[in-house]
Amino acid sequence: MNTMIGQLVANGVVYGCIIALAAIGLSLAYRIMNFANFAHGDFLTLGAYFTLFFAATSNLGFPLACVLAVLATAACAALLDIAIWKRMRSSGANRTAIMILSIGVSIAIRNALIIFFRPDALRFPVPVMESINLGGILLTYFQIAVVLIAFTCMLVVHSILSRTILGKSMRALADNPNLARITGINVDQVVRYTWMVSMGLAALAGIMLGLVTHLNPNMGWSIILPMFAAAILGGIGNAYGAMAGGMIIGLAQEISTAFLPAEYKIAVSFAIMIAVLFFRPRGLMGGT
Amino acid sequence: MQDYLVSIILTAGIYAIFALGLNLQWGYAGLLNFGHVAFMAIGAYTTVLLSMNEVPLILAVPAGMVLAGACGAFLGVATLRLREDYLAIVTIGFSEIVRFILLNWSSLTRGSFGLYGYPRPLEEMIPHEDYNLLLAGVVIVVLLLVYALLEILAKSPWGRVLKSVRDDEAVSVSLGKNAFSYKVQSLALGSAIAALAGSMLAFYLQYINPNNFQPIETFYAWIMVILGGSGSNRGTIAGAVLLWGFFSTTRFLEGYVSLSPSASGALRMVIIGLVLIALMMFRPQGLFGRKEELAVGK
Amino acid sequence: MANEILRIEGVRKGFGGLKAVDNCSLSVPERTIVGLIGPNGAGKSTLFDLISGFIKPDAGNIIFSGKEIVGLPAYRIAGMGLIRTFQIPRALMRMTVLENMMLGSQNQLGEMILAPIIRHGRVKAEERAIEKKAEDILKFFDLLRMRDEYAGSMSGGQKKMLEMARALMANPRLLLLDEPFAGVNPALSERLIEKIKLLRKSGLTIMIIEHAIPYVLALSDELYVLNKGAILASGQPDKVISDSRVFEAYLGVGSDAQP
Repeated sequence: MNTMIGQLVANGVVYGCIIALAAIGLSLAYRIMNFANFAHGDFLTLGAYFTLFFAATSNLGFPLACVLAVLATAACAALLDIAIWKRMRSSGANRTAIMILSIGVSIAIRNALIIFFRPDALRFPVPVMESINLGGILLTYFQIAVVLIAFTCMLVVHSILSRTILGKSMRALADNPNLARITGINVDQVVRYTWMVSMGLAALAGIMLGLVTHLNPNMGWSIILPMFAAAILGGIGNAYGAMAGGMIIGLAQEISTAFLPAEYKIAVSFAIMIAVLFFRPRGLMGGT
Repeated sequence: MQDYLVSIILTAGIYAIFALGLNLQWGYAGLLNFGHVAFMAIGAYTTVLLSMNEVPLILAVPAGMVLAGACGAFLGVATLRLREDYLAIVTIGFSEIVRFILLNWSSLTRGSFGLYGYPRPLEEMIPHEDYNLLLAGVVIVVLLLVYALLEILAKSPWGRVLKSVRDDEAVSVSLGKNAFSYKVQSLALGSAIAALAGSMLAFYLQYINPNNFQPIETFYAWIMVILGGSGSNRGTIAGAVLLWGFFSTTRFLEGYVSLSPSASGALRMVIIGLVLIALMMFRPQGLFGRKEELAVGK
Repeated sequence: MANEILRIEGVRKGFGGLKAVDNCSLSVPERTIVGLIGPNGAGKSTLFDLISGFIKPDAGNIIFSGKEIVGLPAYRIAGMGLIRTFQIPRALMRMTVLENMMLGSQNQLGEMILAPIIRHGRVKAEERAIEKKAEDILKFFDLLRMRDEYAGSMSGGQKKMLEMARALMANPRLLLLDEPFAGVNPALSERLIEKIKLLRKSGLTIMIIEHAIPYVLALSDELYVLNKGAILASGQPDKVISDSRVFEAYLGVGSDAQP
């Protein structure tokens, strides 16, 4: 029984890391752009498929393909900002309009991937490795790598937010956009970098999800619920809250399988989200 | 050819009813329901399951509407005191949860095998091959009734309060209106209308399965509403006709293009996504809407 | 002395470290106009928000026609006949002027969801009566010719007038006017003063925030001066305004109040 719970906790941490990375990006973008981006999940998918593409069409090796994919996804985010988000911001459209638009982006990306890669499940071209046994708990090297990389990323996000000029500008912009503008912060630039960081994290989360499961064009869209649940649990807009929220959602979903049929995992996220909205709508750690 | 026309009338009509429910929520009250399909699913499954257990349709259809309305009200109570995007997030989650429950509660719903062989209205009165024609008539009557109901409500003092909540909630509160209650009411009524569309869909398809109720169905309704002009019931019906016209012409053209079925379906969806983006960027009032009465872009 | 319709006792409200309203007490007698002045940031609009229930005080009592209203939802307070307007005019831009007006009417049967269908005839009759009343009030404010325009197309001054007219549709017992003259041109303002006087004569009680001192002096029966969230002076308008502390408060804070 103990090893079974241990195994579920381990799985929960792995899954929680992925959800946390995705939710950090979602929350950052929400804080700076002030809207819930429903295309966020599809950027996870985009990151995973970029990796597949680079790994399959070149001989760079898988790790380098991942790095390229993250950069390519961030570049897509920048392009999208120039083509769509910036125009919407400067035309003064309100956030509901932008949210509806993000649904259009999501539909377009997801289906474009189906055209190029077919709707079937795919795997990364990486060798299948045996699990290692840590005191009765089985983990693959990929799962361990996911946890290590995710924690590294969280540290990086923390130092960006607390130590860099970008981080300070982001906070200033989120607290008071008009004041930020007056004090000479280049708002468009800060927003663009935020998009790139947020989508880069999404791409990484997508790659990790592809590594521990498989790829399909729906993979990112299908975890939009746990992603938003994590962001809301942490207080939407709060990056640190999103990390904690992701972990809690990941653990809760996996541990619930000890008591509930595994198919109902996703309902656990929903129940947590509803409970938070009723009792602590600003999230466990407060947010915007 | 007649069969083809009848099937277009049926699908466009059913989706027009579905989208009218959304227009009440978004067009009149400014509520972001991103899980509209859940209420359609609730309507379809409730009606079918009850009627398979000998409950007459005259009760089974309203039962679905009541259940969907209650779920809509519940989600509203949970989120409508918060910023408007919480409703969007929670409803989209709810629509996935409903689909998962329908997929996995096999003892009740037969999961992905779906349900079939259930009674349909007026079935014994007419030979099977003509049934769709009759059903098309029923759908048109229901559509007209829903349209008339919504037009009366929209032009009534009730609709006036709803529009004031959409425009500026603080103003309507300052004039003594319980804005929260009106939002919940519009969510409940719109959800009940979606359930009615769900029952009609079940009658038409003769076979329902949880995958009929994917999240994308919700966004078909959004495109119909926005294409026609948010806040216009007539525009919403026109939007439904246009969207189904687009679907059937592109299906017809598929024969001439050398794409795999999944790729051509996906291409159609890419176009749908781009249309939604273009509408929001360049013509948020839709084709027939009035810019002055736009539900977005205060 | 007439009965008082509103009494505020020791009301406090802070935002973070800032005391927006600090131990504020005042009373409004029936059938009078009470003016409320003070430099920018003195807490005048916050006080209106507190009275109308849009925000909740940290401490203190607010009694409206003998009933404690602290903690009641804002729409219930409005329903009791305490109607406010906003500093920045909030016309319902995407509704017509007439629709804006008709919304103001209270206890409409037609606002219940099924009434427009099952009580169609009565709702129609009710609507005709409300429309008639709306037209009368619009005429009073010289806005009748705009009845079918979208409110969004009005000028700032017209929106202010519409807001006041709409508030009157609710048959208020106490009307809170937040800077009714802001953005209204001088000629129109003069006429507006006469109209507000007429309203008082007809029995309405009004509390008014205004930066333009001459207008306040012309209208108020009693004047309160708010500074840094607290009542600085109160009493007869002429006396209050010549109080040296009031003078200092205005100059000291360096407000942009018009002389």
